[in-house]
Amino acid sequence: MSTIKKGTSRERNEFLWGWLFILPTMIGLIILNIIPIFQTIYQSFFKTGDFGKGNIFVGADNYIRLFGDAEVWQSVINTFKYAIVEVPFSIAISLLLAVFLNRKMKGVSAYRTIFFLPMVAAPAAVAMVWRWLFNTEFGLLNHIVHNNIQWISDPRIAVFSIAVIGIWSIIGYNMVLFLAGLQEIPRDYYEAADIDGANGIKQFFNITVPLLSPTIFFVSITRIIGGLQVFDLIFMVMDKNNPALYKTQSIVYLFYQNSFVENNKGYGSTIVVLLIAIIMVITVFQMVAQKKWVYYN
Amino acid sequence: MKRRNKLLALGLCAALATASLSACGGGGGESSDGGNTGGGDAGGKLTVAIWDNGQQPGLQQILNDFTEATGIETQLQVIEWNSYWTLLEAGASGGDMPDVFWMHSNEAVRYMSNGILLDITDKVNASETLELDKFPEDLKNMYTYDGKIYALPKDMDTVAIWYNKDMFDEAGIPYPDGSWTWDDFYDIAKQLTKDDGSQFGFCANPSNEQDTWMNTVYTLGGCVLNEEGKSGFDDPKTVAAMEFFDKLVKETMPPASTMSETGTDVLFGSGKVAMISQGSWMVAAFKDNEYIAAHADVARLPKDPATGRSVSLYNGLGWSASAGTKNPEGAYKLIEWFASKEMQQKQAELGVTMAAYDGVSDQWVNDTDLFNLQPYLDAMDDVVFRPSTKSTLAWWNPMVEELKKPWNGEEDMATACANIAQIMNEKIAEEN
Repeated sequence: MSTIKKGTSRERNEFLWGWLFILPTMIGLIILNIIPIFQTIYQSFFKTGDFGKGNIFVGADNYIRLFGDAEVWQSVINTFKYAIVEVPFSIAISLLLAVFLNRKMKGVSAYRTIFFLPMVAAPAAVAMVWRWLFNTEFGLLNHIVHNNIQWISDPRIAVFSIAVIGIWSIIGYNMVLFLAGLQEIPRDYYEAADIDGANGIKQFFNITVPLLSPTIFFVSITRIIGGLQVFDLIFMVMDKNNPALYKTQSIVYLFYQNSFVENNKGYGSTIVVLLIAIIMVITVFQMVAQKKWVYYN
Repeated sequence: MKRRNKLLALGLCAALATASLSACGGGGGESSDGGNTGGGDAGGKLTVAIWDNGQQPGLQQILNDFTEATGIETQLQVIEWNSYWTLLEAGASGGDMPDVFWMHSNEAVRYMSNGILLDITDKVNASETLELDKFPEDLKNMYTYDGKIYALPKDMDTVAIWYNKDMFDEAGIPYPDGSWTWDDFYDIAKQLTKDDGSQFGFCANPSNEQDTWMNTVYTLGGCVLNEEGKSGFDDPKTVAAMEFFDKLVKETMPPASTMSETGTDVLFGSGKVAMISQGSWMVAAFKDNEYIAAHADVARLPKDPATGRSVSLYNGLGWSASAGTKNPEGAYKLIEWFASKEMQQKQAELGVTMAAYDGVSDQWVNDTDLFNLQPYLDAMDDVVFRPSTKSTLAWWNPMVEELKKPWNGEEDMATACANIAQIMNEKIAEEN
C-alpha cells in the first residue's frame, strides 16, 4: 500500500521540484500577505496601544462600534458608487478601444502607447493634474463649459468625478489585456461570418464577446476588487476641508484615517475585515455567475 | 482540469488583491519604509529626517558645518508631512528609525511616554555650551516628560496677517499698522469683498486652526483647552469668538468649497483674496512666490476691542533622537549643535525660520527686504502655546471635521461648538 501512495520515483521527483519552484512565491505570499491577513483579523479584537505596545483585548467591541458607525456605512455606499461607475465604463471603453486597435493600420502602436500612458504615470501626479482640471475657480473643465460646476466639492457629484479619473487611468491597462485576448481568437470565425453576411456589430456581439469572455471575466473580477479598494485618488484629490469628503471617502480611506492618522489600528483593522468580507462575497457571487456567461474553449 | 486551474488562479488573485491591502494594515509596517531610513549603521552616518522642503538648503549648510567640526557624517532626508508620521510610527514599532528628527507638539507626548525618544537629560545637564534659559519655557516643557528631557527646541512660529497692498490702495484703505481690533478687521474685510465674487476680504479653512481661528478665540478671551485640560468649546467666550469668526466666513470669504479646493495661500497668491492669516513657517514659501513678493506685506493680528490684547498662538519644533540609535553620542552632539547660539543664529540668518533662541530672530527679520516681518516678532509679546494633550490628534481631527459643517452652512456655529466640546471631552477622558 505504502509504495503506491508514494508513487514512482519520477512522480516524487516532479512533486519535489514543483514545490521548489513555487517556494519563493509561496514564502513571499505567506510573509507579506497571508500572515498579515490573520494578524489583521486578530488585531481587530483589540484596542491597540501606541507603537504596537499595550494592546487590550476588547472582544467584539470594535465590531459593535462598526455596525453602529454611520460613517463606515456611508463609506461603503461611496465605494460601491465609485465601483459601479468605474468598472462597467472602464471595461466597455477599453474593450471598444481594443477592438479598434486590433487591426492593421498606420500608427497603431503609437495609439496603444498613448492609451497606456496613464498607467505609467504616477497616481499622485495623475491625481494632482486632475485636481486642477476639476478646480471650480481656475479649472480647465469649467473654463471650457463656461460654468461653475463644483466637480469635486459638490457632495452629489464628487464621487463620480473621482470615478472619471479612475476610468481614465485604467482603460490602458484593461485594453492591453483585451488585446492579448483578441489575438487568440482565430480569424476564421470572422471570415465565416463575413461570408454569412454578418456586419461588424453582429460580429462583435456574437464572436468577439463570447470568445473574449474569459478575459472579460478576469478583468471584471480584478477591476471590481481594485475599485472597491480605491484610495490614492481620493486621498490625493480630496482635501480634508472638502465639504464633499464625507460623501466621497472610501472604505480604505476610512481605514487609513483610523489606523494611521488617529492611531486606532484596532478599529482600522476592523474596517478592513469588513472590506475583505464584502470582496469575498462579491467574488464568490461572480464565480458562481460566470458559469452562465463565460465560455472556455 | 484546465478550467479548474483557471478558477483557482482567479480565486487566488482575488485573495491576493485583498491581502496586499491588509498587509499594510496589520503588519505594523515591516516593509513600508523600503529601507530608506537605514538606521545609523550606514557607514556610521547619522540619518536626519525633516518634513519641510523649504528648510532643506539652509539646514544642509548647518549640517555641513557640523560634519566639518566633529567629523561625523550626516544624511538629510525630507519626507512630506503625512508620510513623515506614518514612517516614523512604523519605524518606532519596527525598530528602524532615523537617528535625529523633528518632533511636533501634536505627537510629542505619545513618543516620549512610550520610550521611543532618546533621554538626553543627563547630557543636557552636563553640557557646557547650552544656554537653556534662552529658550521659551513652554517649548522646553513641551519636550519634557516626567522630568526627563527628550528634545531641544529648534525654532518658533507665530502668526500674523498678510494683506494685499494693491487691494487696500484701490479701496482707499490705509495699510494696517497693527493697532486694529477684530471689529475693524471685520469692517475692512467687508469693504474689500466685492459683490460679483471677483474678490474676497479674507479666507480660512477649518483646518487652518493654529494660523487663523484659534488666534481669534484666544484674543477674544476664549480657549480651546481650559485650565483643567478639558475642552474650552463650552466656554461662552469661545462660542462668541467662533460666532464672530462664522460671520467672517459667511460675509467675507469665498465659498467653503472653493477654499478647500484651491487652498487659502493659492487664493491669496493669485489675487483673489485681500487678506490671509498665516504662520511664520510660510514666509520662506511666500518669498518665492512672485505675486506675493510684489504685492503683499505683513501686519500684526488684530486686538480684542475690550481688552486691547492681541494673542498669537505659537508653537515650536524640537530636535529629538531615536532611543534605538546606534550612535547616541553623535546624535546628541548634533542636537546640541542645532540648539547652540551660533547655529540658532545661523538658522535665522539663512532665513530658514525664526529661532527658538531668545534675541537672535532679528536676523530672520533683516534677512529679507520684501516684507516687513517685524509683526511676527512683536507677536511674541502675547502668545499662547498651541494646545495639546497626551493624544492631541484624537480630538484635533474630529474638531476640524465638525467645523466643516458651519463653514458649509449645514449647522450653526453654536451647535458645532457644543458638539466639539462633547467629542473633545470624550476623547480626552479616554486618554488616561
